[in-house]
Amino acid sequence: MVDRRYRFSPSRIVDTADRYVGAAEDHGVIMNRAGSYAGREVEIEGRELRSFGSCSYLGLELRPELRQGVREAVDRYGTQMPFSRAYLENALYEELEAGLSAMTGRPALVGASTTLAHFAALPVLVRDGDAVIIDQFAHASLHSATSLLHDTQVEMLRHQRFDQLEARLHALSSTHRRVWYVGDGVYSMRGDLARFADLRTLLERHPALHLYIDDAHATSWYGTHGRGGALSELGGHERVVVALSLNKAFAAAGGALLLPDRKLLKRIRRCGGPMLFSGPIQPPMLGAAVASARLHLDPSFPSLQAELGSLIERANRALSGTGVPLASTDATPIFMVPCEAPEIAFDVVRRLRTLGFYACPSTFPAVPVNQPGVRFTVTRHNTAEDVDDFVEALTTAFYEANEPATVPRSREVHALRDEAAASVR
Amino acid sequence: MSIDLGSSPAHGGPQVSDADIARLLSRLYEVISFPEGGEPDWGGMADVFSTHARITRITPEGTDYFDLPTFQAMAQELVRIGAYTAFHETEVACRVERFGNVAHVASAYETRREPGARACLSRGINSLQLVRENDGWRVLSLCWDDEALKERDVRALLGADHHG
Repeated sequence: MVDRRYRFSPSRIVDTADRYVGAAEDHGVIMNRAGSYAGREVEIEGRELRSFGSCSYLGLELRPELRQGVREAVDRYGTQMPFSRAYLENALYEELEAGLSAMTGRPALVGASTTLAHFAALPVLVRDGDAVIIDQFAHASLHSATSLLHDTQVEMLRHQRFDQLEARLHALSSTHRRVWYVGDGVYSMRGDLARFADLRTLLERHPALHLYIDDAHATSWYGTHGRGGALSELGGHERVVVALSLNKAFAAAGGALLLPDRKLLKRIRRCGGPMLFSGPIQPPMLGAAVASARLHLDPSFPSLQAELGSLIERANRALSGTGVPLASTDATPIFMVPCEAPEIAFDVVRRLRTLGFYACPSTFPAVPVNQPGVRFTVTRHNTAEDVDDFVEALTTAFYEANEPATVPRSREVHALRDEAAASVR
Repeated sequence: MSIDLGSSPAHGGPQVSDADIARLLSRLYEVISFPEGGEPDWGGMADVFSTHARITRITPEGTDYFDLPTFQAMAQELVRIGAYTAFHETEVACRVERFGNVAHVASAYETRREPGARACLSRGINSLQLVRENDGWRVLSLCWDDEALKERDVRALLGADHHG
């Protein structure tokens, strides 16, 4: 038992992060610049690489509907709306929020980014006498937002340890009016889903429990009209607030809060700092967002989600026979391959580039010091053949980086994959 | 490698031996290590360290000087914020110089993601000063540099006197 609290100084945190991020940069595997981008391929240092690092899971950013939305918005409003949204907002906001409400069945409030939506919402939602418990792997923007809650008791929860959450709920319910659990719908590094069934059970058992879920990485590809995991699996519970991203799979700009009632929406709109004091989403990207919302409501939209679903399934199936480890096998577009050391993750990424593929290293502070890895994503920009080729390249790169003496020959990799495919047929 | 310059018992206690020191070092690595989802053995640390112990951690960002409770609080904060979800550190070589009831230890360590991992996350040398108290050996000082020896063969630096 440790009976005192130690705090690292902000400067110390920055200096340490600088060392770790700098190491990845020195290896040339982050802070890269794309010469061109076409969804399926990205050009880095003059080489076309097939991309397995994008967050545009549905590949909407190159669609004609969204490009047209941008053009129409620029034609109508120019490149910027030069007013604080507190005074005067662009009419496209109303159209976008109506579209998001139709998608989700909830009052929707758009923010300039998901991060700024958190900054606006949490200080308004969390009241005097409330406590907050945040998952330690919740997105950095949520940790930053909870740091704004100066006089609130904020506790950190080991990742998805809902047994510990329930114990704390028992303890805090007697001293606090409400207890907010803050976490992600899909964890952006490991790609694991929130355990929604357990959260639903906790909501039923604990009337003081409220949830604030950042569903940025589940927006669009998950659920009816792309409403994300939390709204799909928690049934629009009145004690649940959800944030969606209008970037990533939504392929536009901004973030959205999906709230249980309009009164709360009004309050965040009136009092949430960035809603008053930060710049708006500018007309071109509002136009893209309105077009994207329309597409999410189109009868053809589920087929886009299904196409991605089949690519995710294909990747999981192909990987299952290779011996390449995965941090999570949840059916999400995010995959994490654990590595024993950051240098091995960097080596795998470099080897993948040599083989013609782009993926990302994942090291501290994005993940714990002891959990370096290679993060890759599957999107609708990838073809089935791309997925097969990538898995083969990843397998080769992973074994070569880990243990050069036992690199499986290509034929053996094929045999392993065929064996795995046969086993699931 | 071990140098013994006298092992007269302190406070009338029993004769000491390298085995006592080896057990203490083994216990040190046990109490600071923990599996995925676990925590260091906080209570065990109190048995390993003298109540007068100082712990000094050198990183490129600065040097931290701790007593045991403050070191434990720092370690707990690293676990709390998710900087570490597990910790597996083992001794790979050791050099002991004993001077009566004082011992100087250079203990080469490697840190791994999992106990069976082939690659290291980190390596270095723990510089320890031990003192024999009434009921046995304790760590009076632990000092290490997080980064300086990361790329070095720490076994070779100690003449590879493997301690098991």
